[in-house]
Amino acid sequence: MDRWCARCSFREATALDSSDTWKEFDQNPLTHSAAHHLVAILDLLVDLGYARVSDVASQLKITRGSASITLKRLKERGLVAEDRNKFLKLSDEGERIARSIQAKKYVMKQLFTRLLGVEDAQADVDTCKIEHLVSAGTAERATRLLQFLDARSPAALAFLEAFRRFAPPSPAKGEKHADESNLFRYFQAAQEQD
Amino acid sequence: MATPETFNDLNQLFAEEVEAALRYLHLAVTIKGLDRLIIRDKLIEGMQETLEHAQKIAERIVQMGGIPSLDINVHLAPEKLTAREALSSALAFEQAALDAYVEALERAKGDLVLEEFLRAQVALESEHVTEISLLLED
Repeated sequence: MDRWCARCSFREATALDSSDTWKEFDQNPLTHSAAHHLVAILDLLVDLGYARVSDVASQLKITRGSASITLKRLKERGLVAEDRNKFLKLSDEGERIARSIQAKKYVMKQLFTRLLGVEDAQADVDTCKIEHLVSAGTAERATRLLQFLDARSPAALAFLEAFRRFAPPSPAKGEKHADESNLFRYFQAAQEQD
Repeated sequence: MATPETFNDLNQLFAEEVEAALRYLHLAVTIKGLDRLIIRDKLIEGMQETLEHAQKIAERIVQMGGIPSLDINVHLAPEKLTAREALSSALAFEQAALDAYVEALERAKGDLVLEEFLRAQVALESEHVTEISLLLED
């Protein structure tokens, strides 16, 4: 069923009834903030070999109080553990989630910059908004598309070249000044077809 | 003469206290039902005390020749919490503030006035943490 989702503002065409997608968004098992905390711990463990609440707070530019509240919930869910010397560790599941978010972030950013021609800084912002929400299935399809492009087959190169000719990248103008007329025209035409 | 690191430490403590005051306020007004009778006043008291601490730190910064700078980014989502959950949250951010004071105290070694100020704050924060821990005991 192809229906409009009031919350996500996306046209969904999936087996899932998309009128319920906003509920799934709200009930996502990991909040935006929690996702950042997990990835921050993973980064700190890789870079420093240890992670404490103060390090996480410093990395995320938030207060320790704020970090400790989110970490408390992650501990309660068994994703993070703290030893008696106050060093943080990720559980197997916590590490799996953090690595998955990192990988999705990378793939989505590649998709935005290399395929869509979105500027690096804007791609960072947009990726940040979806990295923990995009499904594994969608991330896998995006990965396959990138692999198709990486293979540099004549078909892939022709596709990229044709797309860039059709829609050359333009400098980002910021959300308020963005020209959305093409977006709206396309959407209106699609509505009329329906 | 205070170093930029000292001012950074004090501004971070200032942020911890202001944010804790906002969290106390949010917890106090969010609690409903009978739990409201039990801990609302306690949470309001916590808010007032943390605001006093914030004010003390800001004044300390000014006395040392600096200008307080406040950098907080807090989103307090609507949540239905029990008294126990609210106290448990308060314990988490009070403990975080205590740890921040202890670390700042270690870095302040040699500055006797600042050391004394931070030592007094550590004592007060320890009292808060102990009291909330006692309330959470069965």
